[in-house]
Amino acid sequence: MNSLAVPAIGGAELHVIEFGDIVNYFSPYTAMLFAFAVLFTAIAIVSRPERQVDIVFGGDAYYTKDIWPEQLKFQRFMAIACGLATLGAVVSGDVFNFTLFTSMVGITNIGIVAAYTNRHVLNAAFQYGIVAMIATVPLFGGAAIILATTGTLSMWELFGSAIAVPLIAKAFLVLGVMGEGMAPFYVAKAEITRAPGAPYVLIIHVSSLLLFLRVVEIVLSM
Amino acid sequence: MDTVYTAGLGIAFLSVIVAFYAILREKDDLHRILLTDLAEILALVLIALVATDLAEALILPGLVVGISELMAISEVYLVKESLSRPRYAPLSIEIMDSAPAILSLALVLYGIVLSGFSGGALAAVGAIFYFMCRGHDERFAVVEAVSGYAWALWIFAFFIFMVLPEYWLFGVMTAGGAILLKVCGKMSLIGTMRGGHDE
Repeated sequence: MNSLAVPAIGGAELHVIEFGDIVNYFSPYTAMLFAFAVLFTAIAIVSRPERQVDIVFGGDAYYTKDIWPEQLKFQRFMAIACGLATLGAVVSGDVFNFTLFTSMVGITNIGIVAAYTNRHVLNAAFQYGIVAMIATVPLFGGAAIILATTGTLSMWELFGSAIAVPLIAKAFLVLGVMGEGMAPFYVAKAEITRAPGAPYVLIIHVSSLLLFLRVVEIVLSM
Repeated sequence: MDTVYTAGLGIAFLSVIVAFYAILREKDDLHRILLTDLAEILALVLIALVATDLAEALILPGLVVGISELMAISEVYLVKESLSRPRYAPLSIEIMDSAPAILSLALVLYGIVLSGFSGGALAAVGAIFYFMCRGHDERFAVVEAVSGYAWALWIFAFFIFMVLPEYWLFGVMTAGGAILLKVCGKMSLIGTMRGGHDE
């Protein structure tokens, strides 16, 4: 234990954080993802919200949108929580923890999308929420099948060549991450850009990108 | 991995397909929320099929995630459809006038006797019933404060296990009592989930 399989895709581990049998780690790959997540969480913390300007098509008229501070406070909180969940997901050394952090990203994404009370935006948030809820079935199902067939959830053992993870479990894991973390891309993308608060919406994209990169690493290593 | 697991997996997959097909067919938004909740139970079924102590420990976070997502979407749905609190009493039967005090007292007492997680759930059912019948214009800050202190106690009990293992009985009792209060406080909020005055 405490050394990754030799031809690890993410490179050799740089630093290991042990919580009992849950062992988080940084490899060059995950450290880079972690740095990105830290950067964008910091941006969400320090940045001021933008104020959208709507231009009337075919004319010179434009109007700026009024944004209530308390709405954006909630969105900012959700964005920071989303950043923290992403941080957890990219360094996790345990498949079930990874799925839990992924679903936390999903919940915070719903929060970010739904923070703006506009009928279209709320509709999109609702559809996304349904997808995110359905996605927990393949997500947790994949983790459960991995546990049932291999007897462990620790990536330290799963990444070794001795253990073969069934293809269906890998497919479920990817499917779950696609529904949970990446769904805003295809469900609510057009609608979230209607809502104000650009720097906070950004974290949705960053988190889904990082989650996808991480799940690809996990699936390829297993 | 024996045949029982394989058979269970087959049945679970079949149910998943049925549930997903139902969600695909359903057009009403409210019904879709209910159906997704149904589908989510199947994720728990998949975990439960593992049938070890670890599976038991994994079901709880899975359940929590599911419930929190369900609550988030329900809130979105309420705001989306601009539904507000009903002005009339949603349910009114005779037992709700005469019985709540004694029934909830019995449930809470039995919950305390059981202690721990199941005791908390039982005591909470008593509290939910009371809130449902008698209205709930109470100060929720008190419930939250009790829940917070219970959490601190619970953590404290874990430190007893780690630092002073010889006082394990005291630790078990503290953790059991604290988790009772905590589960009870959390679940009793469910009995008040009709909006209500936010104090």
